[in-house]
Amino acid sequence: MGLVKRQESGQGAPERERRRHGRAPEDLVRQLADPDPAVRRWAARDLAAHPGAADALADALEGERDPAVRQALLDALAAIGGEAVAERLIPLLRSEDAGLRNGVIEVLQGMPEAVAPRMARLLEDEDPDVRIFAVDICRSLPHPDTPRWLAGLLGRERHVNVVGTAIDVLAEIGGPEELPALRAVAERFADEPFVAFSAKVAIRRIEEGRA
Amino acid sequence: MARIMIVDDAATVRMYHRELVEALGHQVVEAENGIEALEKALGATWDLFLVDVNMPKMDGYRLVREMRSGEDLREVPVVMVSTEAKARDKEQAWAAGANHYLVKPVRPEALQAVVRALAGEAGA
Repeated sequence: MGLVKRQESGQGAPERERRRHGRAPEDLVRQLADPDPAVRRWAARDLAAHPGAADALADALEGERDPAVRQALLDALAAIGGEAVAERLIPLLRSEDAGLRNGVIEVLQGMPEAVAPRMARLLEDEDPDVRIFAVDICRSLPHPDTPRWLAGLLGRERHVNVVGTAIDVLAEIGGPEELPALRAVAERFADEPFVAFSAKVAIRRIEEGRA
Repeated sequence: MARIMIVDDAATVRMYHRELVEALGHQVVEAENGIEALEKALGATWDLFLVDVNMPKMDGYRLVREMRSGEDLREVPVVMVSTEAKARDKEQAWAAGANHYLVKPVRPEALQAVVRALAGEAGA
C-alpha cells in the first residue's frame, strides 16, 4: 500500500514555522513533543533523514493521536526502515488503536527484508489477533515465500478467523502449490460455512488462473 | 429492496456477505476500505452499512465517525463486523456510532437476521 502524501493546507504557514525552530537532529527530536501538531509533523518529516532517530520516532508514534502527525511519523519510519524499525513496530500490532495498527501494517509491508526473518514468530504468536495482522502483512509483502508461509499456517492453525484471513490472502497471491493446503483446510473446517465458502473461492481463482 | 454497502478489505468476506444479503433480495455495493466507501456513498441513498474494523487507508471506526459527523449518512444504520470479540472492541464501535456489532465468522442466519431487522426484506 502506498504512503499518502499530505496536503499542507490548514497547517498555518509551515515554511515560516520551520524556520523558527532548530533543524539539528536533537532539536527535531525535542520538537516531537511540541504541543503544536504542525511542529511535531515537520519534525517527524525532517527526522526521516536521520536513521539514528528511529527510536525517538517510534516512541513518539506510540503516544501520538493527531492523524497527520501519526502519518508523518509512520512515513519517517518507513523511510528509515531496517531491522531496528521492524523490531520497534511489531509490538504495536497489539495496540487497541485500529488506526495505529493499520498504519504499522502498511509500513511493515514495505520492509520485506526486515519482516521476513520475523514472520514465523508472528504467525505463531499466542494472540490470534496478532496472527491475523501478520497474515494481513503478508497480503502486500513483496516476498517470494509468502504463499508458502500461509500454506504452512493453514496446516496447523485452529482459529477460524486466522484461517479465513489466510485463505483470503491466498486467493490473491496463492498458486497451484497452495491448492493441497486449501483443500485440506476446507475439509478440516467443513462445518464452518465461511471457511468452506472462502476456500472454494480461493481454489477456483487459483485453478482459473492456471487454466 | 434496500441498498446495502459492504465494506471489507477481504474479497472473500465481501463475496460471502454479498451472497447472504442478496439472498434477501437487496442490492449490494462493495468497498475495500473507508475512503472508497465514502466515495461510493456520495449522492446515493443507503439503508445499511456492513463495516469491517481493520482495513487499510481508513479503518471501520473512523469510517463510522465520518458517517456520523456528516449530514448525508448520519442516520444510516451501521453493523460493524469484526474478527475482534473483546469488550473493548465493541465499546469502540458503540462510541464511533455503530448500531450493531457482529463477530466474524458470522453465521449466515445471524447476518441475515440483523439485515432483516435493520434494513427489512425486499418486498416486505
